[in-house]
Amino acid sequence: MNQITYIQGLVVEETVHLTLMELCQACSAEEEHVLTWVFEGVLEPIGESPLDWRFGGESLRRARLALRLSRDLEVNPPGVALALDLLDEIAALRAQLLRRGK
Amino acid sequence: MKFKDYYEILGVPRSATQDDIKRAYRKLARKYHPDVSKLADAEMRFKELGEANAVLKDPEKRAAYDQMGSQWKTGQEFQPPPGWDTGFEFTGGDFGADPGADHSDFFEALFGSQGRAGPRATRHVQGRDHHAKVLIDLADAYHGAQRSISLRMPALDAQGRVTLQERRLDVSIPKGVRAGQHLRLAGQGGPGLDGGAAGDLYLEIAFSPHPQFRADGRDVYLDLPLAPWEAALGASVTAPTPDGPVQLTIPPNSVAGRQLRMKGRGIPGTPPGDLYAVLTIALPPADSDGARKTYRAMAMAFDFNPRSHLEG
Repeated sequence: MNQITYIQGLVVEETVHLTLMELCQACSAEEEHVLTWVFEGVLEPIGESPLDWRFGGESLRRARLALRLSRDLEVNPPGVALALDLLDEIAALRAQLLRRGK
Repeated sequence: MKFKDYYEILGVPRSATQDDIKRAYRKLARKYHPDVSKLADAEMRFKELGEANAVLKDPEKRAAYDQMGSQWKTGQEFQPPPGWDTGFEFTGGDFGADPGADHSDFFEALFGSQGRAGPRATRHVQGRDHHAKVLIDLADAYHGAQRSISLRMPALDAQGRVTLQERRLDVSIPKGVRAGQHLRLAGQGGPGLDGGAAGDLYLEIAFSPHPQFRADGRDVYLDLPLAPWEAALGASVTAPTPDGPVQLTIPPNSVAGRQLRMKGRGIPGTPPGDLYAVLTIALPPADSDGARKTYRAMAMAFDFNPRSHLEG
């Protein structure tokens, strides 16, 4: 009899904190890019120095978005930071419309 | 294979300067970037733009492309003439922004698929982490579920060309997962090289649209229509929830837009989300003598001007 084994996934946002290395690996980004984004406030890790940094799951989404924007549109890091803030604002407004059933 | 007019895609004349091309690409890329645009075909348009830009921004490739002449039109059946690229020396390298991007057949026929395998790794290299989006039902987040999903992944074949491979994965969806969250499946990403560990696969969760419920983070919203008298006098009505119908008490003098919170009935978790019934008021149609008579009686009975706040 064929028994299907279901793969158990971890919800990154709730159970996983990524180190700098893991975040770079997870979104195929260069370490220096991630450092710049932290410096620009795009990503906000917990911890004092890069070696202690732990990134929450939200950082994964933001880092991938930052990477795509800088790569595809050649946006510089302050521009990426601004774009992400504006995209967050648009997402919040869209969620507000959604709650009202628009 | 269909011909692609890269000039038309970027909206520039064939005589455009490299600066014109760069400007046109940037402007359209910002407009159609899938992270920014909500247009349904944004991803397809963006891919096309990237391909057009990859050819036209590179003087070598542009010259080779131009050599095919201007008589071709988009969508025309096309085969590259034999030896069309003789006399051009491609320095190779950066063909597109995204390593592993799947270019059109047209692009592949002209420029091949070289330069996309990424840097050749040496030893013990961990496989790449992969990412995919999956659509699940809201009910799956309420109860947890086991789902078979199929993913299409670009992979290199024996000739070094990129092909899309279908892969089926049986995944447990944990109860309480929310849209925008990522599931990490350890070891399900790209294979490692020379004994290196495989990468991980990240699945980004999204909900398929539901006719009644809208999720926002942990909270879930539902439009609940009421008759005018139910809203005015208060009532006990049956409301659907993802966990099955519940009795809901409508307080008297409820107005449209009021939100009734059903605590803890949103997406489960610690803490669980809430379910909100957003009240709407439905008017019965005045389509019979009896109905019209009732509306006229209401007009007589109320000293009600809904526009009083508009008068100065």
